[in-house]
Amino acid sequence: MSNRILVLGDGAAGTIISNKMRFLIPTEDADITVIGNSKIHYFKPDGIHIPLGMKRYQDSIKKPEFLFNHGINYVKDTISNIDIQNKKVTTKSGKEHTYDYLIIATGDRFVPEEIPHFDSEAHHFYSLEGSLELKKKLSGFKGGKIVIGPSSIPYQCPPAPYEFTFQLYRYLNKRGILQDTEIHYIFPLNRVFTIENVAVYIEKLFDEKNIQYHTMFNVESIDSGAKKINSLEGEELPYDLLVLVPPHKGQEVITKSGLADEVGYIDVDKYKLTYGDYDNIFVIGDATNLPISKAGATAHFESEYVASRIASEISGFVSDDKYDGSVACTTVTGDERAMTLYFSYNKPPRAVAQSKLDYLLKWTSADTYFSAMLRGVM
Amino acid sequence: MDEKIKPTKIIDARGSFCPGPLMELIKAYKAAKLNDIISVYSTDSGTKRDASAWIKKSNNELIGVFEHEGYYEIVMKKTKGEK
Repeated sequence: MSNRILVLGDGAAGTIISNKMRFLIPTEDADITVIGNSKIHYFKPDGIHIPLGMKRYQDSIKKPEFLFNHGINYVKDTISNIDIQNKKVTTKSGKEHTYDYLIIATGDRFVPEEIPHFDSEAHHFYSLEGSLELKKKLSGFKGGKIVIGPSSIPYQCPPAPYEFTFQLYRYLNKRGILQDTEIHYIFPLNRVFTIENVAVYIEKLFDEKNIQYHTMFNVESIDSGAKKINSLEGEELPYDLLVLVPPHKGQEVITKSGLADEVGYIDVDKYKLTYGDYDNIFVIGDATNLPISKAGATAHFESEYVASRIASEISGFVSDDKYDGSVACTTVTGDERAMTLYFSYNKPPRAVAQSKLDYLLKWTSADTYFSAMLRGVM
Repeated sequence: MDEKIKPTKIIDARGSFCPGPLMELIKAYKAAKLNDIISVYSTDSGTKRDASAWIKKSNNELIGVFEHEGYYEIVMKKTKGEK
């Protein structure tokens, strides 16, 4: 009997897992359907380069339709309800999709409206539109105070704000306006990064570059008249240019379907990536409430685990393998250098050494992503 | 902890590593009302330091850090903000 596998979401997580499953499961054993409504598939890590004119945005986008391997049914639609009692997903067009296995890979969303004046005052590099706007803004920047950082936690790709800061430093230096600029980095915790030893390493690099940092700074409001931001902790910082990661939440349909609270991230079994008592419902990528990075690299490792598990089950083999929280990601640390961090639930990453080779890996990652990772071949 | 102190909200972040428990505490704090008492359970010893530092920095009241069998409990009172 053919199994019906339904994947919700056509971002990194949904695309990788669908392609991986298609490699592992014969077409006669399972139909794979993906529902998503993305207009483009944007390789978000290039957001640290596009605003600085270091990469062409055209090389960082593809049409989602062309990213699914042969044998996958891609449905362009918006998910309006997930009914796990009746194993049924409804879409905006009114269609109903039933399943034997459900994979929720709906990601998360930006909610700039949670901070008044965010849209008119702050810039960011977390979307293609945001990156292009920021590029325009930076080209007219002549010097002054730049405030950069995540407005709150959680947010996608935790290293990205410091990566962008290092690349911005290089950009300002090249343009000859570094001496006229103060860079202020803010972070919601009592250090500049989520993981302590990496934070110590980054703080040292910030000190060498005279990048000032302000920790325990959760952005509460923006005073557009006085051009300053205020923190939940009671501090304020003036700015001439504000580069803030917008607040994030899970998708509304997740909350509306009763799968999560108002914030919208789904609680999952951290070792099996299953939802509640449902062994046939998996959640991967940014949609989860797991205490690990919300990043494409995480989605990649989770997909590897879930795809293998479902393929094993369908072939009749019962696997008790567990996902151990493994993730690896390469992060830019400035001066054309980067370092790769490896971690799992029980092993925090160690900031060991930066290298040019790691920077090359990062620089070419869009090509690796579109040609191999997304296709499920690595 | 004094048994008269009844937390308005308890966050069970046991098994989650720092900064997970602190993130959960900040999330709960944002949703809390003035004078609410929030308690966070954590198995990560780093939470004692990080959460205490954040509570003090944000000008709220740290009621205490208590050690139970296998986990820590950090208790705060929201003393800043609207009712």
